[in-house]
Amino acid sequence: MEYRFDKEELDQIEKIKARYPEVRPATLPVLWIAQNKFGHVGPKVQKLVAKTLDLPEAHIHGVAEFYTQYYKEEKGKFVLDVCTCLSCQVCGGYDILHYLEEKLGIETGETTEDGMFTIQQVECLGACGYAPMMQITNGVYVNHLTREKVDEVIEGLKNGKLPQFESKEMRKVNPQDR
Amino acid sequence: MASEWKNFEPVLIPDIANLRNIDVYLDNGGYEALKAVLGSEWTPSSVIGEVKAANIRGRGGAGFNAGLKWSFMPEPDGKPRYLACNGDESEPGTFKDRKLFEFNPHLFIEGALIAAYAMQCTTIYLYIRGEYIDWIHMMDRALQQAYDKGFIGENILGSDFSVDFYTHSGAGAYICGEETSMLESLEGKRGYPRVKPPFPAQNGLWGRPTTINNIETLANVPLVINKGADWFTSIGARNHPGSILYGISGQVNRPGVYELPSGVPILDLIHEVAGGVRNGKKLKAVIPGGSSTPVLRGDKLEGVTMDSDSLREAGSMLGTAGLVVMDEDTDMVDVLWRIAHFYHHESCGQCTPCREGTGWLEKVLLKIKNGEGEIRDLDLLLDVTTQMEGRTICALADAAAWPVRHTINRFRDEFEARCKRSTFATA
Amino acid sequence: MPEVYIDGERYEFEGKPKLLQFILDQGLEVPYFCYHPSMSIPANCRQCMVKVGQPVRDRETGEFELDENGDRVIRWFPKLQTSCSIDVTDGMVVKTQESDELVRRAQKDNLEFILINHPLDCPICDQAGECPLQIQTYKYGPEGSRFEVKKVHKPKRVQLGPRVVLDAERCINCTRCTRFVDEVSKTHQLTITKRGDSNYPITAPGETFDDPYSLNTVDLCPVGALTSADFRFRARVWEMNQTPSIDITNGKGCNIDLWTRDNLVLRITPRHNPHVNDWWMPDKGREANRLFNENRISRPSVKIDGESQVKSSWNNAIETFVEHIESVKPEEILLIGSPHASVEENYLLTKLGNLMGWGTPHFTPHLNEGSGDGFLITDDQAPNTQGIRLLGLSENDNDQLAKRISDSGISCVIILNDALIDRNVLTEDLFDDTCLIYFGTNENKTSQSADLVFPITCVAEHAASYVNVDGRIQRSFPAKETKYSNRRLNLEMSEGRLDRYGTKFDNWVTEDNKVDCLPAWDLFALIGMRMGLDIEYEMGGREVMDEIGRKVPSFEGVSYEQMDDESGIALNIDSKKVKSKN
Repeated sequence: MEYRFDKEELDQIEKIKARYPEVRPATLPVLWIAQNKFGHVGPKVQKLVAKTLDLPEAHIHGVAEFYTQYYKEEKGKFVLDVCTCLSCQVCGGYDILHYLEEKLGIETGETTEDGMFTIQQVECLGACGYAPMMQITNGVYVNHLTREKVDEVIEGLKNGKLPQFESKEMRKVNPQDR
Repeated sequence: MASEWKNFEPVLIPDIANLRNIDVYLDNGGYEALKAVLGSEWTPSSVIGEVKAANIRGRGGAGFNAGLKWSFMPEPDGKPRYLACNGDESEPGTFKDRKLFEFNPHLFIEGALIAAYAMQCTTIYLYIRGEYIDWIHMMDRALQQAYDKGFIGENILGSDFSVDFYTHSGAGAYICGEETSMLESLEGKRGYPRVKPPFPAQNGLWGRPTTINNIETLANVPLVINKGADWFTSIGARNHPGSILYGISGQVNRPGVYELPSGVPILDLIHEVAGGVRNGKKLKAVIPGGSSTPVLRGDKLEGVTMDSDSLREAGSMLGTAGLVVMDEDTDMVDVLWRIAHFYHHESCGQCTPCREGTGWLEKVLLKIKNGEGEIRDLDLLLDVTTQMEGRTICALADAAAWPVRHTINRFRDEFEARCKRSTFATA
Repeated sequence: MPEVYIDGERYEFEGKPKLLQFILDQGLEVPYFCYHPSMSIPANCRQCMVKVGQPVRDRETGEFELDENGDRVIRWFPKLQTSCSIDVTDGMVVKTQESDELVRRAQKDNLEFILINHPLDCPICDQAGECPLQIQTYKYGPEGSRFEVKKVHKPKRVQLGPRVVLDAERCINCTRCTRFVDEVSKTHQLTITKRGDSNYPITAPGETFDDPYSLNTVDLCPVGALTSADFRFRARVWEMNQTPSIDITNGKGCNIDLWTRDNLVLRITPRHNPHVNDWWMPDKGREANRLFNENRISRPSVKIDGESQVKSSWNNAIETFVEHIESVKPEEILLIGSPHASVEENYLLTKLGNLMGWGTPHFTPHLNEGSGDGFLITDDQAPNTQGIRLLGLSENDNDQLAKRISDSGISCVIILNDALIDRNVLTEDLFDDTCLIYFGTNENKTSQSADLVFPITCVAEHAASYVNVDGRIQRSFPAKETKYSNRRLNLEMSEGRLDRYGTKFDNWVTEDNKVDCLPAWDLFALIGMRMGLDIEYEMGGREVMDEIGRKVPSFEGVSYEQMDDESGIALNIDSKKVKSKN
């Protein structure tokens, strides 16, 4: 497969470049554009980004490898990033992770044969109050996971339905405590 | 502080519907502080003076007086100067800044604009961790609204102050919450913390003067301008004034983010605010301010309040005020191993003690967790923490070392119980 | 003058030196890995930790506060500091590992960390023997390791490029290699990949590390992570002799070291000279060892019946030379000097020509237009073009020289070590009826076309001087023995550890690699003697240079002593008279 940016993306890249006094700061944003378009930033995509920005390939490679959200290889259609860090750990993050592994018949880090799901274990996603939780393909957060909720989400995803963004209101101190 | 906190009305995220909408924000006195400082009554230096007097201590964990930090910026020389807003929020147990993005983005934007005016910055970058993509979109919308209303851009509100304001997404690296690492990431590089000195105020983004502030810190600025430093310092603990967005997570009944004055008794936070420990279990331990702050034993919390002085006395730190509550069934060995795993995974790999030490800690803890450790491994771990602490460019090594040292020291019996008996010991 | 106290000793300093560099400049030591004086300072290895303090001054009077013993009160930094990155300031007090237990402890701790994931495979590692990690571990490291869990595994034997091989497990992440390609060679071909203890340097996927300066990363690497594909596994460093020399593969004259074992040059590395090449050299210059080792002309050759060359004795070759010379008139002889030969050799050729009435030697520069890079690679392919210009040899364009031979009634051409046929300046058929006498180091088409061939010493075998494109005169030392020289007797030659202490059973010395050749001065003296001239130089090149310094104005006062003291001498070159082409 040949990787190319189209006119619209190139315009967007020009706009991003204009935000900074030099080209290099566009590295992260353009890697994002590439990943959103191609689903990963494998070696060939890295080359494209380097060429588009006229930056050394080794630089792009080093940056892509440093940041964990960039997929350096093709992943499943839905990447399930299950948080198991601290609050999620004490609230059962590992149970959710293992339940998912069992349910999808793959280990963490693997992709289902049909290419639908990849399971990853990730570090704190900043949703500690809504543990355990996961993020789907660098996108929506799914909070307060239970086995039932996992079943529901997986079923939905199989039918192409992403969970909705859940707004978690600021907590108010209980009125009766006042 | 007894129970004054119960009467506190939130100011950072007040209970107003749709405050994220700029019109609602304006109806509730929004951008008045910006208008004021751009008017004739304020000068950049008087703004810095007021903020310094308010003693807004950095809410990102370091707790440094924000106004004092601003005053380190050199005199303007007509060339670019930057404000970088730190929305990386990656310390485990911390999930507060996203509340501002979601519920009161304009308060933060206004604060950042005032800060930029005070330091005569030409561009503001808002760095947000890549995982917060939904919140980045929220901020992009809020910034657009502010641009449309003329609060950002050329000659803001008819003044001669102009500034641009952009979001910049991270891509998965805890270290980019460290301020100089964040600058590297903004410059499009691997997030390696920089050697200081030179400090960012002298040599920041692209070698230009730059100040880095946390989101919550900046959100306090319009309040200080509107109501004065005296009002601000009257709230909460004397040495750490103002309200704080407490993030409470772990095994409590009502986890979430609560805005309360600083200095709330930690037990009140757990039992009254967060509804107590889940399932009526006993409280075993609390991490008071994100994973790097030393864990406190549940039976040693009487009288401890959530401010820097009290927590220091108790043997910990305020950090990001993200509390992680653990009940009596929690396995401290598991928890510590997971924390060590986190720091091992997130070490950038630049400095030797951190790169090698974090992995060593995790591997030895895993051995203990699997029941294969020996008592001498505990002493080895403590040794390794002293070898890491204070020997690196940034504080990640310290952040990795402290929890290990303090968790082992404070729950040593539990760790020893997991160790194999040495072949020769205990006849 | 501002002062600094290091381990209780007072030193004065000027300017704004970094502490580590200042300490090293005093001949003292603090261990380090990542610091390099010619690159940026990342302070990432954390090895050079020292304790630093400042004296406390009274705010009112500005005087130093004194304690009860009358000593200055020192306010110490709360943490140990990396000496590489901290500026020396007036009054600073420094404690290194020599005087402070905490510093000793910190340096030891750091080495323990560095070693936990290091493979400790010194017995099979090329770096062993010259490895900063190995050396500093012996001096400052822990006795054993407390690391009893699994090491991190990373790629090994990765061919990064044609000349450099990576063993990522040995890497200690000092980033010297990536800084080199970013800051010095500027090809940006390397990056650190991954994060934390999995990181290591690598190229972009599918890309080759073919930087023309790539081998400098091997020199820079403080461990055996980057090794030379060519030198890998060829010798242990302690078996070799190290001799200073000059790169003769282009006009820059990079200062180098020749590493020899049993009279073979096994490796060439750059030698620091801030006036010429700093710490670096191009990869191409390192391949010159093949010129010194392979395809050498050994023993004179004489062409019989105009057909094939046969080896000859020196006496017979000299007799043949005289026969050729005496069969033609002096004006029918053309001398050709060489930008590839030293100042001394060209001078002697000129002198011989003058004494014999053969006229001034001619030469043609060896340029490859556009191949220079403005750094250490020059258009000039020869090491001494400026030198022979300054000697006053007659400069020719490429086609002028051939015309001169064919059109001016020349019957005999004497060439000093320049492969003029190989580089298409002259053609073989020019010598169908014209006699060619060649004084050279290596076999090539030019030597093979000659009627008489004299083997002379190459830069690795003699002490001689070369003037680089910028007009700097620098000299070599004999690194390998010929049939007629002896390492023990020639005081210019270096003696290695095994020469000094080895027995014949553990030393590598054989007769196999000694070339049967003579330095030009010795050979010309023999020829001169046969023809009734006294042009003997008992002290060799050194004496020739003294004479040049007396007789040739451009070289006035130049001597080996001064070159050695000052790492070469910048000659006063008149740019109008001498084209200085890069």
